[in-house]
Amino acid sequence: MGSFKSGQEFQDMLAGFFEHLTVVPSISEKLLASKLIIRFTYTDPDVVLVVDCTGDTVEIRPGDMETKATVDLSMTADTAHRFWFGKVNLMMALTRKQMVAKGPVPKILELLPAIKPAYALYPEYLRENGYAHYVID
Amino acid sequence: MGRVLHIDLTTGRHEAHPLDPGMAKDYLGGSGTGARLYLDLIKGGSPPDPLSPDNPVVIMTGPLTGVKADAVARWTMSSRSPLTGFWTDANVGGHFGAQLKSAGYDGLVLAGKAPSPVYVTIDDDAVAVRDASPYWGSDVYEVTDRLTEDLLSLDGRRGEMLAIGPAGEKSVRFAAVGTRKRHWAGRAGLGAVWGSKNLKAVHVRGSGSVPIASPERFQTLRSELKILYAEDLLIEALRAFGTIASIDLGTLTGDVPYQNWRTGAWSSVDDLSSVAYQEQLLSGNATCYACGVRCKREVEVSEGPYAGIAGPGPEYETLCVFGPLCLNTDLPSIAKANELCNRYGMDTMSCGSTIAFALECFEVGLLNAEHWDGPPPQWGDAASIVEMVDLIGRREGIGALLAEGSAAVAAKLGGGAEELLSTVKDLESPMHDPRSAHGLGLAYAVSPRGACHNASLQYPIEPGGMFVADVPQLAVELEEQSSVGKAALNVATQDYGAFFAGCAGFCNLGARPLSAAQAVELVNAVTGADYTLPDLLEVGRRVWFLKRGLSNLFGARADHDRLPLRLRVALDDGPTAGSAPDMELMMREFYELRGIDPAGLPQREILTGLGLTDLADLLNL
Repeated sequence: MGSFKSGQEFQDMLAGFFEHLTVVPSISEKLLASKLIIRFTYTDPDVVLVVDCTGDTVEIRPGDMETKATVDLSMTADTAHRFWFGKVNLMMALTRKQMVAKGPVPKILELLPAIKPAYALYPEYLRENGYAHYVID
Repeated sequence: MGRVLHIDLTTGRHEAHPLDPGMAKDYLGGSGTGARLYLDLIKGGSPPDPLSPDNPVVIMTGPLTGVKADAVARWTMSSRSPLTGFWTDANVGGHFGAQLKSAGYDGLVLAGKAPSPVYVTIDDDAVAVRDASPYWGSDVYEVTDRLTEDLLSLDGRRGEMLAIGPAGEKSVRFAAVGTRKRHWAGRAGLGAVWGSKNLKAVHVRGSGSVPIASPERFQTLRSELKILYAEDLLIEALRAFGTIASIDLGTLTGDVPYQNWRTGAWSSVDDLSSVAYQEQLLSGNATCYACGVRCKREVEVSEGPYAGIAGPGPEYETLCVFGPLCLNTDLPSIAKANELCNRYGMDTMSCGSTIAFALECFEVGLLNAEHWDGPPPQWGDAASIVEMVDLIGRREGIGALLAEGSAAVAAKLGGGAEELLSTVKDLESPMHDPRSAHGLGLAYAVSPRGACHNASLQYPIEPGGMFVADVPQLAVELEEQSSVGKAALNVATQDYGAFFAGCAGFCNLGARPLSAAQAVELVNAVTGADYTLPDLLEVGRRVWFLKRGLSNLFGARADHDRLPLRLRVALDDGPTAGSAPDMELMMREFYELRGIDPAGLPQREILTGLGLTDLADLLNL
């Protein structure tokens, strides 16, 4: 059993965080430049989020199973949560299949510079949006 | 059974000896058999000075070298290091090993010292030691091109060559031996050992092929591995970006060191990302014999002060030593530093680390106007970094000093310079920070050849790039920024690594997707042996103790198993802020697990149990 009992809560929390990232210019510029459509498929609880970077702004679409994604990333909700705290080693998670990534590797690696500043923003976002109890020390 | 070709450079005589079947079984090949042969060659006398005629060089292939499969082209070169004074072995890719095998040899021993510069040609059974005076002084690129052309003109048959450049001739302590201008017996000064023997090059041509004992088993396995490789994300990353992909992931985890290891964050590091490399430098890729991974980079620079570069590009380690370690964001200058190291024939890792160390010495005034014309070089000063590489290759100006390696420079300068070092056993650390994966600190400290990320499989396994699910000791749950359990993990990565990469010749990049069962099956299919995994872990353990014992024989003791202060102090910022390896804990546990006494020597019964009684006798245990 993971830390998140409600799929709706996890979806709201993470979708809200992704929306939060889209207004940070240094991050949104890199996302838009990637032109990617990324589908995050989470389990325990089951949640799907699509991050669409193909338009003029980054769109976050919870539950979108229709759009064909360029990159598919699957993991548990707990792994995702810990990842955004910088507590998951991406390489280890991939080799140990804690995360499964499908899509063009060069495009995935291009996203890494966008991820770095997001680590610092996640705990701040949680505290400011009523999710302080999920902050990991 | 294969043969080992012994060449006495003093007399020019040569003889092929059959490889002893017992030795082949107990040491498997590669640096394991290389270490065994080396010990047998020197054990009758005093330990040889590294640059004396008495210090032999042993080149060995592995059982898989020359087989047409991904990631098994590796071969090794071993000797006593002129940089560290201890045992060293280099694990090399390319095509030379396959060609040596096809000429009918599993290995090659180069002993003595030629009275004047020579090169060796091996054409199946026809072996000759020839005058190299027309090529002496040429850089590695020049001698590779000219000698290849000259030999080709004789009968039109191509071969493979190893060569040194001016750095090897001038005993730069971290001189290297290169093949195809891009694959190196890089670390710890093997090029200087060649130079001390007046040996410029070895050229080999073979007309045979590598036999496979069970072709059907081999083909079945090859098909299985083809599917595995097609689906593996890390292999895809290697294909797309080569080893450079490590910088993108390494900056997230704190693996990448900055500014001579003293800071944990550097906002400009994204200027050196794999995408930036691709956009600014990349012109193509290349590969080792029969390997479809094709992780090697070709680069081109057509504008700016470094215009004209076209050829092998920097690997991850090279990018980091001349980039983040020196706070240098200028990619073309890094390509230039790489090219100069290649041409002079120098290890980029020791060269760049020594320059980063020198930049800090300039900053604190330990190096000054006595050592450099003009304003002292600064962090990120690309032109000065490139100039220092050039001076080291020539052994001119400050280069004559830096050519001795950073530890020797620190000893000469005094004044606390040793606190700025990244060396273990006088070998500069690779570009993977132990504060991000504590077990790396132990791996560097106890590696027989000094700070090395390839002496075991600790580097790919602890930071997560390799997962061997079917060896329980390697598949443990890991917390990288913790020292708990890392001694046991090091023992496991040493034993498995000595078998996998050291002896069998699996590439520790391209062969990462393989399970242990697949690795063992591949060895058995090719050799016809019936090794089990425990058998091969025993081989790995024997080889680890043999290499450690050779360094013990050359004077290594517990005092040499020390991670430098610079890598042990927690940083204030970045992904590893506040994290430092607990070396005391890991060393205590490691010595206990390995049965090493407080002086740093192994117990006699361990060596005798592994069939290393002669080593135990030599160490007076």
